[in-house]
Amino acid sequence: MKVLVTGATAPAGASLVEALLIAPDVELVLAVGRDLPPAPSTDSRLVHLAADLSRPRVLHDLVWGEARARSIDAVVHGMQHRKIGDRGAAVHAQNVDATRELVRACSDHPTIRRLIYRSFAEVYALDHAASNLIDEEAPLDFDPSSAQWVRDRVEADLTVCAHLGGPLPIAVLRCAEIFAPGTSSQLWDYLQSRVCLRPLGFDPMINVLSLEDAAAAALAALRAPASGVFNIAGLDTLPLSAAIAESRRADLPVPGPLLSPLYGLRRWVAGFEFRYDLNLRRFHFGGVLDGTRARRELGFAPRTPVRWPRPWWHLLLDRLAAERARAA
Amino acid sequence: MLSSTFTRIARQAPFHDEGYGFDLFGLQPSYLARAVQAVRPLYERYFRVTSHGAEHIPPAGPAILVANHSGVLPVDAAMLCLDVLHRTDPPRIPRAVADHFVPRLPLISTLYARLGVVSGTRANVRRLLERGELIAIWPEGVTGPAKPFRDRYRLQSWRVGFAELAIRHRAAVVPVAIVGAEESWPLLARLGAHAFGAPYLPIPASPIPLPARYRIRYGAPLHLGRDPADADDPAAVAAAAATARAAVERLLDDALAARPGVFR
Repeated sequence: MKVLVTGATAPAGASLVEALLIAPDVELVLAVGRDLPPAPSTDSRLVHLAADLSRPRVLHDLVWGEARARSIDAVVHGMQHRKIGDRGAAVHAQNVDATRELVRACSDHPTIRRLIYRSFAEVYALDHAASNLIDEEAPLDFDPSSAQWVRDRVEADLTVCAHLGGPLPIAVLRCAEIFAPGTSSQLWDYLQSRVCLRPLGFDPMINVLSLEDAAAAALAALRAPASGVFNIAGLDTLPLSAAIAESRRADLPVPGPLLSPLYGLRRWVAGFEFRYDLNLRRFHFGGVLDGTRARRELGFAPRTPVRWPRPWWHLLLDRLAAERARAA
Repeated sequence: MLSSTFTRIARQAPFHDEGYGFDLFGLQPSYLARAVQAVRPLYERYFRVTSHGAEHIPPAGPAILVANHSGVLPVDAAMLCLDVLHRTDPPRIPRAVADHFVPRLPLISTLYARLGVVSGTRANVRRLLERGELIAIWPEGVTGPAKPFRDRYRLQSWRVGFAELAIRHRAAVVPVAIVGAEESWPLLARLGAHAFGAPYLPIPASPIPLPARYRIRYGAPLHLGRDPADADDPAAVAAAAATARAAVERLLDDALAARPGVFR
């Protein structure tokens, strides 16, 4: 298997590249990112390329030039703009236009036989009448007042879905929030504060995915013949208050209407990325992805728990306690 | 006996832990056990709940309890759930299915989730049945509690979704009659206020529920369909729902005829 990975320098892409290089059936990984990694790889199966895929010509030349020359047979597209506050045509070009061009370029490609698109759980609409358990048929978020960050993800997802059933087998992986630094995880950013404010009277269930499981899901999708949309749920499902407790933060419920201005102030003063307006419905009603179809058709089941962002002294205490328990 | 049953909930009740002590929907057995302990005097002493036919509750596997609904607040649902926990060994946690507006209610939504209540969506109920859980459904929905006192113990509009799910998942349907809730907390009026999406604001005839004795009757399990494909046949589903409705009506008639008085 020869795989082209987009967004390869982002944490999720880098994690996937790492997993691919461990897999015995992978002959070549063409890792494409906006920049080259600081240190060149020592693995001869890995080729890094720097390319701005928001430019259609660059993307076309990559797919029909380098990828064809190297007989790439599968593509994992995970490139998405990660800064949640950024917006505009350039961001849209990276999120949506590049996806459209990539699918188009792959559709009648002589060597590419499989496309995996990493989508996001944020494409689903959450409200009080929605199910706690979100399956692949759940309604999508078409709210025009949603942030571009969400609208782009919905549009890109549907752009890929429009090609389902065509000659190119495509798997759309709607991943639960990847909970790791640098992945644009809103929850990760939220849990960086010592005190986490939560809407009073609500404690929704959340589900988060580890980087390792996100990579494992893409690998499973590369190997499986199934096409379609698949929810990729993580191993960790818990109430928001439990996530705060796991991160050793203080949990402070406050009236809901205060949260948006307070977190707006936090963003403005301290430069954090968390936006309460983007998470309002999730923080009230929750929503857990139903990964049954991925388990059945891709053979993917989450195995790796996330690492909670505990303060260093808590990690030290945890380690000491573990050592003491082992000695006892 | 009752106390030991309730304290065993946290330890013995079958439960699909997702790794942090909660299930997918937020149920926490230890929380449920504490809540049950707290409301135990209501069950034992205030409403003095008696029940018959609890042996009809399947000890394992997917099953649906289908009951009549009444009262200003869902006290009848709470008493039924307590009775199921008390009468089953090991305790089966009934997953009460609530209306869609419940998740919008601050505090209540979280409380309900910890106690095992789920929002009545198809995906939620399907997952519970696939896991072999016991579900409690009130097919009248809000029309049951919203009916005037003169219509007490007359079943109102009867949704059929439970019948479809029962056929599709081969789940046994246990009809249940709850007597006492109508007199315990009659509805005086309904205000057209829709706070948090609630269909109306109930005005009760008394500030607190009256100590009417609750009587719960469980009927023999109904197996509503032979072929899961019948779940797509509207006529078969409607007929199955009507069968369950008739069974609940019969149980209600029997329980009303047998009770010596509302408060005795």
